[in-house]
Amino acid sequence: MQEMIDRLRSEALAAIHAADGEPALEAVRVAVLGRKGSLTGLLRGLKDLEGDAKRDAGAALNALKDELTAALDARLLAFSGARPVTAHAYDLTLPGRAPAPLGSRHPLLTVLEGICDIFYGMGFSRDDGPEVELDYYNFTALNFPDDHPARDIQDTFYFNEKVLLRTQTSPVQVRMMEQREPPLACIFPGRVYRNENADASHSSEFFQIEGLVVDRAVSMADLKDTVDTFVRNFFGAEAPTRFRPHYFPFTEPSVEVDMQCVACGGSGCGVCKQTGWLEIMGAGMVHPNVFRAAGYPDDRYTGFAFGMGIDRIAMLKYGISDIRLLYENDLRFLNQFRGVQ
Amino acid sequence: MKISLEWLSDFVSWDDEPAALAVRLTAAGLNVEGIEEIRRTFPGVVVARVLEREKHPDADRLSLCKVDDGTGSPVQVVCGAPNVRAGITVLFARVGAELPGDFRIKKSKIRGVESCGMICSAAELELGLEGSGIVELETDLPNGTPADELYGFQDTVFEVEVTPNRPDWLSHVGVAREVAAIYGTKMSLPPIWNAVQGGESLGVKVRVEDYADCGRYTAWGAQRVKIGPSPRWMQNRLRAIGARPINNVVDITNYVLFELGQPLHAFDRGQLAGSAITVRRAPEKTSVVTLDGQTREIEAGTLLICDEKGPVALAGVMGLGNSEVTAQTTEILLESAFFNPSHVRRASRRMGLISESSYRFERGADWDMVERAALRALQLLQEHTGARIVPDWADRHDPDHRPADPLRLRVWQVNRVLGTAVTTDQVAQILQRLGLKVQPMGNAESISASAVNMMVHVPTHRRDLSLEVDLIEEIARIHGLDQLTGRGGYRIPGGAVKRPRDVARDRLRGWLSACGYAEIVTSSFMEAGDHDHLGLPADDPRRRTLAVVNPRHGGDTQMRTLLAPSALVVSRRNLNAGSTPPLRFFQINRVFRTDLPLGRELRQADEVLLPAEPEYLQLVVAGWRETGLGGVPADLLEMRGAVESLSAFLRVPLTLEPGTDEVWLDDGAAWRVRDAAGRVVGLAGRVAPGVLAAFDVDAPVALAEIRLDDLDLTPAPARFEAFIRFPAVKRDLSLLVPAAVSFGQVRDTVAEAGGPLLESSELFDIYRGKGVPEGRAAYGIRLKFRSAKGSLKGETVDAAIGTILAALRDRWAIEPRG
Ligand SMILES: [Zn+2]
Repeated sequence: MQEMIDRLRSEALAAIHAADGEPALEAVRVAVLGRKGSLTGLLRGLKDLEGDAKRDAGAALNALKDELTAALDARLLAFSGARPVTAHAYDLTLPGRAPAPLGSRHPLLTVLEGICDIFYGMGFSRDDGPEVELDYYNFTALNFPDDHPARDIQDTFYFNEKVLLRTQTSPVQVRMMEQREPPLACIFPGRVYRNENADASHSSEFFQIEGLVVDRAVSMADLKDTVDTFVRNFFGAEAPTRFRPHYFPFTEPSVEVDMQCVACGGSGCGVCKQTGWLEIMGAGMVHPNVFRAAGYPDDRYTGFAFGMGIDRIAMLKYGISDIRLLYENDLRFLNQFRGVQ
Repeated sequence: MKISLEWLSDFVSWDDEPAALAVRLTAAGLNVEGIEEIRRTFPGVVVARVLEREKHPDADRLSLCKVDDGTGSPVQVVCGAPNVRAGITVLFARVGAELPGDFRIKKSKIRGVESCGMICSAAELELGLEGSGIVELETDLPNGTPADELYGFQDTVFEVEVTPNRPDWLSHVGVAREVAAIYGTKMSLPPIWNAVQGGESLGVKVRVEDYADCGRYTAWGAQRVKIGPSPRWMQNRLRAIGARPINNVVDITNYVLFELGQPLHAFDRGQLAGSAITVRRAPEKTSVVTLDGQTREIEAGTLLICDEKGPVALAGVMGLGNSEVTAQTTEILLESAFFNPSHVRRASRRMGLISESSYRFERGADWDMVERAALRALQLLQEHTGARIVPDWADRHDPDHRPADPLRLRVWQVNRVLGTAVTTDQVAQILQRLGLKVQPMGNAESISASAVNMMVHVPTHRRDLSLEVDLIEEIARIHGLDQLTGRGGYRIPGGAVKRPRDVARDRLRGWLSACGYAEIVTSSFMEAGDHDHLGLPADDPRRRTLAVVNPRHGGDTQMRTLLAPSALVVSRRNLNAGSTPPLRFFQINRVFRTDLPLGRELRQADEVLLPAEPEYLQLVVAGWRETGLGGVPADLLEMRGAVESLSAFLRVPLTLEPGTDEVWLDDGAAWRVRDAAGRVVGLAGRVAPGVLAAFDVDAPVALAEIRLDDLDLTPAPARFEAFIRFPAVKRDLSLLVPAAVSFGQVRDTVAEAGGPLLESSELFDIYRGKGVPEGRAAYGIRLKFRSAKGSLKGETVDAAIGTILAALRDRWAIEPRG
């Protein structure tokens, strides 16, 4: 019996495969599964068998019937150009089960790491320094004289006369220069503090990233190059930048860097307060007094430094209107930053 | 700082719209942050004469007037002012007139009487004149003259951001210099007293005790002063820039301050005792009343201006009430001085008193402007107060004062710093446009590191220019920063070095977020009660916090010494906000510990002064009330699993040991985390119920913390090892384990007895209840055996299992089930 079944199987499958159109296929069906078909005949013959033999042969024939029916259907669908539908009884619209629930990365740190990646690509290394910092590194070595109004720009938290919470990531510049000789190209991201009351655009704690390049003859034009490369890579567009003269005690010349507003393309909108420009960083050429504080000989090196607020850039990038949202840690906020950014 | 363009145009002219001027100034570094159009007009308000006045029939305090407003027919109007009477000339708002504050005049009935307009008071028109009643004008003005001809005013005002290095921009003349430099035009200074009219002698001697505090002090006199309102144009200008007109003398000193940047002070000469003014330091703490009516404590050492009785002004900050100019003043002593910037700054800080004067003095006044500003004020006093100016004046200045040395400038350095290719001629031209005097040196063509191309003489109003590089900044500003073009393809020297720690931290963040944890960023401060809420013992070193001495009002002061409170606060917030538990968070943040070594390479001095800032990774699961395997809370199991996975992920061996040293963790539900050397590097467990209550968290919170600084995060490169290709044999054991025996004990015994063939054992079930004797649990454990030598025979595995079962029976009285 098994032998007959095997032979029927191979013959029938060959015939199905050989059928070159629907009529031919239908002929095969009738020949095998029709009332007088070969398989139907074998099924009828089961009644002559007994016990285990009857049971085994029945199972095998029924399996073959299923197989051939499926093969016929599949062949038929091949002619009609559609894919086979397997008639399982699953409700495939039920919700799936995730391998793990999806968490999120904080937008501030996503932006911070994203910025670092761009500067890694440009050849910068990364370093960091203490958040509880000496007044010396935060101010004095950065050419903020004692009793000078320049210190008012940054409202400072003090622990005592000598120790404070750093108001900027710039003190790491001096620490780095004390330890290493140029050429240097380094970024220093981190948390900084200002003694200010919180509102939609101010937080007493926020994040900055500082960059420093020192060599025999780096120039302001090189700074412009570096800034433009960063903006192009980070904002993914050929957004023009402009330098505006400004004042920082530790750079001279000092500039503020604006980029054309990403929201309106420069025509003026609420984001850029109708100016068409967005301030993205402060920058400048390292002041000779800072080199002196770091112990470098006068005139030997030039360098540039820049610093930007991560919070502001994250707010621009994600359209966040209130800085406090970044520090509230509300899941309704955080959950919006799931997945690949 | 506000700049009135109307005022500015006295000194310089420019051919541009205000918006374009703003762009040019901003590009030169004077950031124009706002442009305000001022248009003060009074549509429908005219000069009129009151023809008749009688009492309102139904109201005692109202008058019924007929006025002639130039239209020919008298107009009836109700007026409430007490000083209205027939014959006076007034400002009359016709029906339809628009008054400040969007107030529109309509025909109305007042107590039954029709009123067609309004007779205006100075306050209603916001004219800023003195007096409360209606305005009385000169009688020769024709009726119907528009009020705009008298009081109309138009201006454009820039709100500018002046950086601390440019005090010269804190005045209209200073900004005019910049405008002239930008547009390449000339600027002029305002007129000064020409000494044509003399009074008697000043009769005041000035003494300066220490020229280090006050480099120059001049005193000037004006007599027969008539105090009254200042001229309207002056009031308009002052009001346009946000200053409040007071009287002609005070307004003139303020006007000169905003015009020339030099603070002046006018004393009532009649109130000064004696004939000597002394500039000296307060010998002791004393208390004075300043012009603003405040009583202030003055520290010893504060610089004072004194008459023969005592202090009359806080030098450079504010005058005192005892010598204030009042309506009765007839004679004035005018001070113009140069005070030491840092001295004024310290005094102003100490008293918490920042005035327009102190703001300018602490940034640095202009030495040469001291005299000129006084002469300008005298000219205005003579013109607008009817004063007779005293011909002589007192002038004391530091005999050692010298003008600043000229600066050497190398064009080579200009181009080195800016990346430009400017010539000596271009540089000289730019500097001259800025009003600097340039003295050529050597050969203009010779440009090298050692070639000084010019000496530059800096005027006294540019105290900020003291180094060669300061001049380079000026050149950059005026040459135009938009002219800078990079050399393209510039290579940063050095090349990137990515620190393993940064790489590991970043990967960790990605992995944890993929595991369902939301990253949080929490404050470095902790709340005052946090240590108590955690129940930290009194001698716990983490109670020794660093505290800021000048916190924000109501702000936290203490730097956090542990992360736990922030986890509880974030959990509470999100549970209360209705997020569906379990909530999962992680953070990588620093804490600030004065009791630990710094752990980084800092200078020796740092060691004494700075805290250690170790970085912790914290995982949090909040609000999960389910239990898992063996009845253990699911959040605890997750924390254990997370630490084990973390260990695998970072390739850093970490083990969990039941028990804790933290009082704020639930004693029976916590672990110490140890590294390969056995050091405790972290913890995991559930927060104790009492601590949850103290933080007002109404759900369980489990967390794990690892001190990342303690781990070697240099990724160990994976090393391939040949694996065994022979199949494993799996056997499941069901064991009846007495309650006193832990899984850990079972696992260790199985591992020990299983010998080298036992590859792994895995707990897949714990069952208690029907069919399992009281006091025991049925553990389902799957064992995997494998040999490197070949396929294992059934008998070999049976023997190994026999050994395992025997060991379990002997050690722990564990029997196989059924
Ligand atoms: Zn815009």
